[in-house]
Amino acid sequence: MPTITFTSQNGESTTIDDAEGDLMSLAVKHGVQGIEGDCGGVCSCGTCHVQVDPAWIDKTGPATDEEREVLDFEQSATANSRLCCQIEMSPELDGLVVRVVRS
Amino acid sequence: MTDPADPFSEQRRHDGVKLVRAEGQDVPLLLRLRDIKDVCNDTQSFSNDNPLMIILHSEAAVRDVRQLPIESDPPDHTEYRALVEPRFRRPKAPEYQAGIGAIIDSLLDDCLGSAEVEVVRGFALPLQSRGLAQLLGVDESEADLWISWGIHVFRDNELGPKGSELDRYLLAKIEEARESKGDDFFSELNRAEFRGRKLTVEEKHGFANMAFAGGRDTVIHTVSGVIAYVAQHPEALEFLREDANRINTAAEEFVRYVSPLTVITRTCPHATEVLGHEVAAGGRIGLCWPSANRDETVFRSPDQVILDRKPNPHIGFGFGPHNCLGQHQARAILRGLLRAVCDRVERVDLIAAEPEIEQESSYSRQVGYKSLRVRFCGR
Ligand code: HEM
Repeated sequence: MPTITFTSQNGESTTIDDAEGDLMSLAVKHGVQGIEGDCGGVCSCGTCHVQVDPAWIDKTGPATDEEREVLDFEQSATANSRLCCQIEMSPELDGLVVRVVRS
Repeated sequence: MTDPADPFSEQRRHDGVKLVRAEGQDVPLLLRLRDIKDVCNDTQSFSNDNPLMIILHSEAAVRDVRQLPIESDPPDHTEYRALVEPRFRRPKAPEYQAGIGAIIDSLLDDCLGSAEVEVVRGFALPLQSRGLAQLLGVDESEADLWISWGIHVFRDNELGPKGSELDRYLLAKIEEARESKGDDFFSELNRAEFRGRKLTVEEKHGFANMAFAGGRDTVIHTVSGVIAYVAQHPEALEFLREDANRINTAAEEFVRYVSPLTVITRTCPHATEVLGHEVAAGGRIGLCWPSANRDETVFRSPDQVILDRKPNPHIGFGFGPHNCLGQHQARAILRGLLRAVCDRVERVDLIAAEPEIEQESSYSRQVGYKSLRVRFCGR
């Protein structure tokens, strides 16, 4: 079953097995530091910002236009930035690694 | 005639600015989502450090204290905000949300037992006040006093020699809690330290005034907006019940659609230009949240309430360093309200609605209701 790993600013990493649903909800459920998900996943608050490991960006795809409405105003955003509430776990993403941007 | 629900649409599409007269200046209101976000991020050119002037019109008649943290800029703002942020995040805890749920349930008990309810005063105001008592960690009975002040305490009160009733109350509470080790907001302000010193009375007063003013009309208008919508769209409750995720998307959509705060301003320390409009040094510009939240380049069918709208990149709670500290409280209230109404209410019958209209030199806009009379019918 698919596995996802979040690495936080403090160097800690959290690996979640049998991951289902969107990444933000998974991170909040497992207490990943730096992921708040305040707006509940509608792409408004920007508190679930991650950078996708370059090896994975083709599989997750880049940020959508709506994510860009938020990310374009974040100084720390890069081409690999995503709001992880907009990424749904799937078998193709098994082994995905993302870096949490906020501490 | 422009539509009172979105009086900004024509200019938003045309040049992104609407001028409005305030305090002797033609204040350019920014109307597009991206322009507003840019301004929020540039606190050096667009400052919050202008006491009593944060909303469109001067509040000198209703308060004499600088509101904190809003009327300050980084780096001070960052440190001020950090002092109170943990309390404002408490509503994220499930136990806290259960407390809000209990407040809503007891109000709904009363509503369901009445032939008619005036929602603004009979439901939204007590919900907002009791919710605030929980947030501030004070006895629920305090809320009864706040409720007795009515809706307009922050607008219609001309400051007398001893300040407004609210300010007298806040100063007395701060004084009363001087030595207290209690877990309430006033005791916490007394214990707080800013750069190695205690807060001054003015600073404590400024935090307290903001906590009362920021979340009052905003929450009351949004809650009333939810009930009015449900009354006008009987099918909405069934739609929400079909999928638990819709509680959350609907709460965000009501914040976007109602956008209860029309304008927050920024002051320009240096002469500047926004979208072709000159602003003199010391002049102000306005950030028009409801307009940003209907920006047709961002939102599909912006004039429609779409209860499962997702993504919904609204900025109803502001954006950047000053984004709303009360957003967790507001969400706890709105999500709790939608959940409780879905569980317990079959339909809401509208009896009469009198909209509240904000009248400015260049637009009028509906913000909530003066009065909203309905009947709640139980399931
Ligand atoms: C639906 C309800 C609400 C809406 C739409 C709303 C909207 C906003 C907006 C747009 C701002 C940004 C101001 C700026 O950029 O200068 C803001 C800031 C703020 N709000 Fe709210 N608000 C709501 C509820 C509340 C509540 C319930 C409270 C308190 C109990 C509150 C307290 C504050 C405070 C303290 C700030 C200033 C934050 C800072 O300067 O760092 N708000 N709000």
